[in-house]
This record gives sequence, C-alpha cells and structure tokens, in this order.
Amino acid sequence: MQRRTFIKSIGIAAGAAAAPAARAVLPVRSSIRYLRPPGAVAEDEFLSRCIRCGQCGEACPNRCISYFGMGNGLSSLDTPYIIPREKGCILCMKCGEVCPSGAIQPIVRELEPILEGVRMGRAVVDKRLCLSYQGKTCGVCYRACPLQDVAITVGMLEQPHVTDKCVGCGLCERSCIQMPQAIRIVPNYG
Amino acid sequence: MHATRKPFFLWRHLNKLRWLTLATVFSMLVLLPFLHVYQTYVAAHAYDLLAPQEQELYDTMEALTAPFVTDPAEDLDAVKGNTWSGNLFGLKLSDPLAALSQVAAGMNLYTPFLLTALIPVVFTLLFGRFYCGWICPASFLYELNSNFAILLRRIGLSTGHRKLDRRFKYLVLGAGLVLSMLTGSVIVAAIYPPAVLGREIYYAVALGGFGAGAVFFAATMLFDLMVAQRGFCRYLCPGGALYSLLGRYRLVRVQRVVENCNDCAKCNAICEFGLDPLRDGFGQECNNCAACIAVCPTDALTFEIRPSDIAYQGPGHLGKRYQHRQRRETPPEVEATA
Repeated sequence: MQRRTFIKSIGIAAGAAAAPAARAVLPVRSSIRYLRPPGAVAEDEFLSRCIRCGQCGEACPNRCISYFGMGNGLSSLDTPYIIPREKGCILCMKCGEVCPSGAIQPIVRELEPILEGVRMGRAVVDKRLCLSYQGKTCGVCYRACPLQDVAITVGMLEQPHVTDKCVGCGLCERSCIQMPQAIRIVPNYG
Repeated sequence: MHATRKPFFLWRHLNKLRWLTLATVFSMLVLLPFLHVYQTYVAAHAYDLLAPQEQELYDTMEALTAPFVTDPAEDLDAVKGNTWSGNLFGLKLSDPLAALSQVAAGMNLYTPFLLTALIPVVFTLLFGRFYCGWICPASFLYELNSNFAILLRRIGLSTGHRKLDRRFKYLVLGAGLVLSMLTGSVIVAAIYPPAVLGREIYYAVALGGFGAGAVFFAATMLFDLMVAQRGFCRYLCPGGALYSLLGRYRLVRVQRVVENCNDCAKCNAICEFGLDPLRDGFGQECNNCAACIAVCPTDALTFEIRPSDIAYQGPGHLGKRYQHRQRRETPPEVEATA
C-alpha cells in the first residue's frame, strides 16, 4: 500500500514537472483562422478552462459558434470557434453568461464593458480589394458594424478606417460583398 | 421464528422511477437542442423564410412550449446544457469530473466553477454512484444495449461476457487527468460517454451532423456487446471511477436482509455492474439503482443508512444451504419431533 502511494506520488510529480515542457512541444494551433467567442480568455488558459460542454453554442441566438473536430489538434477537440466569414458574432454576450467554467468570461452587454473585455481580434482592410478604395462607394462593413463610429469610421467614398477599439466580432468580414473579402479579422489568441 | 424485517414497500418500485428519470434526462437532452434551434428562429424573426419542414419543427416547438413561456427567445434559456454541465433555472450544475479535470488541466483552482460541482459531490457522498444509475444519459443507452444483448442471445448469437479487472477504470481516470495536465486541455471530456453524448446530440440536431465523439460512443456500445456486458461502465469509465471513489463511504446503501434471503441469486444476475449482492458484496461501485431490490422475490434487499457494507452474513435463512446446516446442528430428537 505504501509503495503504491509512493509510486503514485512519483507519477504525479513527474507529470507536473513534464507539463510545461509538453505544452511547449505540442503544437497548439493549426493555420485555421478562427475566433473564440467574445469574452474568451487567452488561448492557453482557454484550453485548460473549457470543459467542452457546448453550452455557449446552445445559447448563441445567431448560431455562429461551431465546434472543432480533430482539425485543430487534439487539445482543441470540441472547443467553440467562430469563422467570421461564415457567421459573425452579434455581441449578445449570452455565451459568457452561460459558460460555467470561466473559459468565456461574463461581460455586461454595454459599450464600455465590451470594449474592455472582448478581445476576439481586430479587423484589417485590404485596400487593394476594398471597393471604396477602388472608387466604388460601398460602406457595407461600416453599416454591419455593431460598434459604428467607435470601432470603424468612414472617410471619403465610405472608405473604412478601423480604429484600435475594434473587438473583432467579424460582422464586417461576414458582410463584405467582395470575394475574397476585403476586410478580415486578425484573431487575437492572447 | 423471529420477526423478519420487511423493506419499505416502495423500494421495489424505485427501479421504475429510475427508468423514468433516465428516460426524462435523455429526452431532455434531445429536446434542448431542438429548443435552441427554435429559439434562433424566433430571435431572427425568420418563420416566413423557413423551409416547410423547418416550419413544422417551429410549429411543434411552439406548441410544446407556448403554455410555459411568453418570450421563447429569452425564457427558454432557463434550462440549458447537458449532464456534463448545465443550467437549471439559474442553478449551474457540473459533473465533478469536469471540475477535477479542469483543475488538472489548468493546475489551479477556479472557484466559481468548482462550486457548480458542489451539489453533485454532496449527493454522491450520500448516495454513492447514483449518477451512473439514475441520471447518466449514456447509462440509459447502455442499459438498453444490455437488453438488446439479451435479445441477441435469445436468437442464438453470443455476446461478450468477459470479466476484466474493475480497478482498470481508476487507471483510466488517472491517465485522463495526467493527460489533461500534460496537454493543458480538458482531454477527459473526449472519453467520458455522458459528456460525449450530450455534445453529439447537440451537434447532430443543431449543427447538422455527428462529430468524432459519435464514433467513440458507438465503439463503447460495441465493446459492451462484444467484449463485456456493461464493460465501459464497469471497467473503463473515468467518471464512474471518480463517483465510486467519492461514494465509497456513502450513507445510503442497499443491504441484504439475511433472514429473508433464499439464495436464489436473481440479484446477482440482474446487477448491471456485476456486483455480488447475494454475498453482501456491494462495495463502492454500487449505484443504488435498486434493480436488485425490484427483482428480489423474498424482500431480502433493502436500503440502510450506514457508512459501510455488512460483512458476509452467510447463506440466506430461507435457502437450502442454511436450512440443511441448521438441521445438522440441531439434536436428532428435536428433528424427529419436528
């Protein structure tokens, strides 16, 4: 019995020692460009907190949250993600409310807390593709933005200018009428 | 002849209540994703845009929920999630295994989440592995699977009945936690049937198809059919292992009343977990499912409040072995007069 406990404790100690090393070696993410739901903590912490219960997706009225299969590595299996071009996040903040494990932090649905707490990514405009920058007045991304004039402003010919307050919800990328899209979210994995 | 203890008459009907609970939990697990889909239609004001089949779904869900809610988009949020972690009218409940594996993965204690596992832990301390027998949606399918195996045997096909070491599941629990720790990711969720099932049903209904977990679950069903009856729960389930450990000193346990027992062994035959009620062998893995109580023809099994099992009480007093021994031990003239 004593030997067994001893071996057990050795095993646990070895595991604890090897954990950071293994994390450094194991590939964390693939080349898929995805967003985590709004309010998600930094990627490494997110993976250790998310228990894969699927409640964020079940709470999402826009059904923009999908779940990884094996495509993003074993450690991401069944974790939630958003592909902004397919469906953007409407910043309803329900997923953070239902998340039991603290992987997605609850954030009040008001401007200040959202600007403070949501860090999904940031939109970047490709001027070579953007219609407004080609002289064809568009402005669709600006109108799709839930944080108009805060996260995105328009200049001449409705040319979009993303400010540093953009939270990366992806509605602009979703709505861009160019193919491929002229505005994309660069994800922030923390 | 001394007075025999009769178990409370309702105990033998508990098994029916258990099937009702299992069926309710499972049907809720199927219903909730449909409700979610319905909610998204309502939130999007999209009824007119739906295909005819989708409109049918919408109408069904509306008929089902209309008596209970005024604003489906908001009010239906009251019950969400699955048995791995869910929300019941504002009360967040989680599987103790979810809490433990999160601790292992993050190597820190996140109290708000740990608290959601508190109520299940307390219940497990009182009732042992009750979750496995009374709530687990995978258990529901596994038990039906056991019955299916009986059917297969009846038509002449042989099903697996291997006996493995039941301590193996504690190894699976340990390995799962160590793996979670190494990868910094809650890996256990991928090998725990109720968690897998909850997710997969949701994927199938709301996201248009089963994921990788469905293959895993099908494999466990096949394992039960072909290798060992209820093999996954008995020998492999990490959650079952945790519940067993927590329930080791459970207060409410099934016990044998030796005076009423006739050694018929029906309890051993019915026990899904392959325990040994006939010889007072319940142990930490009994899930208080009460199937043995329901099947006992002589009311020899009952619930008792005590922190440990009674040691083997010998053969049942109504059985042949006991009576034979009694006859041998009593003097011959008494036997002659009797």
